[in-house]
Amino acid sequence: MFYDINAIFKKEFGSYFKSRLAYIVLSVYIITSLSCTFYLGNFFNIVNYNLYSFFYYQPGVLISLIPALTMKLWADERRYGTIELLLTQPMKYSSVVLGKFFAAWAFCGLMLILTFPFWLTTALFIPVDSYNVFYNYLAVLIASGALCAIGCFVSSLCRNPISAYLIAAFIGTILKMFNFDFLIKKFNISNEIIIRISQSLNFDSHYENIIQGQLTWSDMIYFSLLIIFCLWLNIMSVEYKRD
Amino acid sequence: MLSVINLNKTFSEKRVINNMSFDLREGEIVALLGPNGAGKTTLMRLITSFYEPDSGDVCINGNSIYNNRTEALKQIGYVPENGILYPELTVFEYIKFMADIRRIPYQNFVDNLVSLIQQLDISSVINQKCETLSKGFKRRIGIAGALIHKPQILILDEPTEGLDPNQKFFIRNFIKEYSKNSIILISTHIMEEVDALADRVILINHGKIIRNLSPERLKKTTSSGDIESAFRFATTSVLEED
Repeated sequence: MFYDINAIFKKEFGSYFKSRLAYIVLSVYIITSLSCTFYLGNFFNIVNYNLYSFFYYQPGVLISLIPALTMKLWADERRYGTIELLLTQPMKYSSVVLGKFFAAWAFCGLMLILTFPFWLTTALFIPVDSYNVFYNYLAVLIASGALCAIGCFVSSLCRNPISAYLIAAFIGTILKMFNFDFLIKKFNISNEIIIRISQSLNFDSHYENIIQGQLTWSDMIYFSLLIIFCLWLNIMSVEYKRD
Repeated sequence: MLSVINLNKTFSEKRVINNMSFDLREGEIVALLGPNGAGKTTLMRLITSFYEPDSGDVCINGNSIYNNRTEALKQIGYVPENGILYPELTVFEYIKFMADIRRIPYQNFVDNLVSLIQQLDISSVINQKCETLSKGFKRRIGIAGALIHKPQILILDEPTEGLDPNQKFFIRNFIKEYSKNSIILISTHIMEEVDALADRVILINHGKIIRNLSPERLKKTTSSGDIESAFRFATTSVLEED
């Protein structure tokens, strides 16, 4: 299985750099992230020992960019008909799904690595808590994994990459913005269990927990389950929707 | 040996493959002949497990393609219709990708590639992107990708469709050469292809096998003695029966 995942991973990761897509996404990511950090994040006016100004805006930036990485992964296979070639090879469908997912996730890792000079430069001028920053990078990485899994699943349902981009970005936005507290207050729900379940489903609260230095198992489990659930949906969609 | 056993497939209540059974033996080139929409491509997709049947099975040397999919698929090389390739890859990268999926050791890959480059005459395009290739080269690269692991069974969906006479001649010669120790199944609706290549013809219409015999015997089913008349006679008489 590892061998198959590796073959798909190499092909997909390499394909990013065969078009301008990789360079556009990397440039836009760096420019947008730093613009948000300095202009929206008041970088120079707040205490930034954990680069809070930078990490606070990452989900928003990634929600708009990760669908661009995942949109073609399956939609192009359907558009060009290569899905027939791919799914008639002696591999498990799960290997193909994982290979594509890891390629997109690894690209997100590369995007994050390219922001390390910002971390190092900041550390020259102000005291930075490196452990905290490391956990924050971990938070962004795992959150980007969840967004990649959503993007891959959506792409597997579409034939047109643009549709895949728009739907994945929409789902990511809803997931980030949807605040269950609002509904609880509106409908005056007092059931403790429902309140706790709704709080535990909130993407933003789990992400903020981590970037405020409170990495807990529940946050890790939340993002891990989101990834596993979307990948399972992806495998199902590949298995049952061939054309 | 490849055995198709009581295969059935329905799409939105329309039966596309109707209780089909046949065997393919080593050294045989079998042409799947039928009018457009007869079910040729669907049958190929069922044999390669791209589709799952409603009932029935396909066995390759005793391995069911639905119960033991990965093992059975290792023995097949499949070239879908229209020369489908990954447009962003070069020819070398495409064939290497196919070899990686098939877990071919690097030295074997190099040996097989060298021999395929010679046999298919693709040295001039080996570093060219697949999207820039002509139809004829796309077919050749598709065949090279399907043969990189030296499969026992080669399945080709309309391999010479839309090619010029020189390219057709080249691909037919290659198929003839490769068939000596293999099983080759080609789908086509070109009569001259059947005449030039096939040891046996399976004629299908409306998802049913209506003839399963040699081209010579097929010709004898009509007084004019050519395959085209036999094809027209068989497919239209079934229509009338329906």
